[in-house]
Amino acid sequence: MKKIILTALVLFLTACSPVKPWERGNLALPQMALEGDAQEANFRQHTFFSKESSSGGYGGHGGGCGCN
Amino acid sequence: MSLIERLSLAALALPGLLVGGEAQAGRAEELYHADFQYAHYEESKGRMKVDVFELSAVAPIGDKITASVDLVRDTISGASPILNIKNSDGKVEQYLSGASIFEQRDALAVGLSYAFDDVNVSFGGGVSGEHDYLSRHLNTGASWTFNKKLTTLSFTASVAFDEITPTGQSDVKNSKTSQKYLMGITQVINKNSLLQSNMTFAYHKGYLSDPYKAVYVEGVGLEDDSRPRHKFQWAWLTRYVHYFKTLNKAALHADYRLYVDDWGINGHTLELSWHQPIADDWLIIPRFRYYTQNEANFYQATFDAMDIGDIHSSDYRLTGFGTLGVGLKLTKSFHMAGYIKEVKLQMAADYNDRKASYQIGGNDEGSFDDFSFYMITASINMRF
Repeated sequence: MKKIILTALVLFLTACSPVKPWERGNLALPQMALEGDAQEANFRQHTFFSKESSSGGYGGHGGGCGCN
Repeated sequence: MSLIERLSLAALALPGLLVGGEAQAGRAEELYHADFQYAHYEESKGRMKVDVFELSAVAPIGDKITASVDLVRDTISGASPILNIKNSDGKVEQYLSGASIFEQRDALAVGLSYAFDDVNVSFGGGVSGEHDYLSRHLNTGASWTFNKKLTTLSFTASVAFDEITPTGQSDVKNSKTSQKYLMGITQVINKNSLLQSNMTFAYHKGYLSDPYKAVYVEGVGLEDDSRPRHKFQWAWLTRYVHYFKTLNKAALHADYRLYVDDWGINGHTLELSWHQPIADDWLIIPRFRYYTQNEANFYQATFDAMDIGDIHSSDYRLTGFGTLGVGLKLTKSFHMAGYIKEVKLQMAADYNDRKASYQIGGNDEGSFDDFSFYMITASINMRF
């Protein structure tokens, strides 16, 4: 199992085309940020967490609340 | 520092910046951040309304350490569903608390992160208090950037201790403990796209019922909400971002999350957003969200004396349903040469429609607990 995961990881990493440091301008643009607005992301996740059963996957704090 | 220089620095920092807002390995945050957000949440049918005020600050300490603090105040008012009843025609109706609920929640979270050459470690903790609820949590994390800074692996662990003292039952103190573990990979695929995949494992133990909810047992009356005393949750989130140079440098964000727990609930979340730059540092972001879940294996809208076990709940969050959401966000950045380097203004509005009939695979529960809600946020972010 370990071998399969490692092989898959190596294949995945080598399949990605090399990106030189000076080619990363596009990735650094604000519209490309995975989490461009941490406060809003926290508010949205907190809201959906208190209205739906699913949670997790995103980062954020670990605290609970009595939200209903 | 010019815009180009700042972009180049941000580019060198990739992709470590992308993981949970943590600073990049080898380089602590260089600017002070001060962010303020107001958010409003409101449900249809005169149910809950929430106003949220949040203040966050980030400060570099030397060139290796970053400190952060976050303060939140929620004020909550309105009515909340307590149980479902069957009327004289045999139809299920939702019974609400009346618009008497008023609650205030105050939360504080602090964090410290330290940047080694390729590794970033973080520690944090926080407390969240309401008149009937107290939660304390601790968290720690590490991220490792390698493969010519194209790959970041991250791990976080957190533990929370919660105490619930239901209103009107001051002699009762219920508690629960939650552990959450996240591991994730962020990968630059090419100069125009990147992928993140995170898995979360969570285990909760203790009092997981809702003291303000009840179930209706036909021919018997009301019983307290009663859920298992432990819960295991697994979530797998994959996020993809792609850059479109020819469409005025727009970006597509696509997120999918699979969720499974041992209460029998499976959930699917799909989020799509299009980040379109328009003139003069304006960004317009239309977005779409779809969520669906099936019901917990101990959920029923109402119960019969024959089929009610020790474990039972009629909580509307444990039934099967789907939610469709659309939203629009606008941001405007101002870059300055003085003491304040950047000011960003952001505004967003989202509308969500939650219906039993939107559940994937169908739902015959009826529309008695359908509702909709909207969210509005406005924020100012400063860098200096």
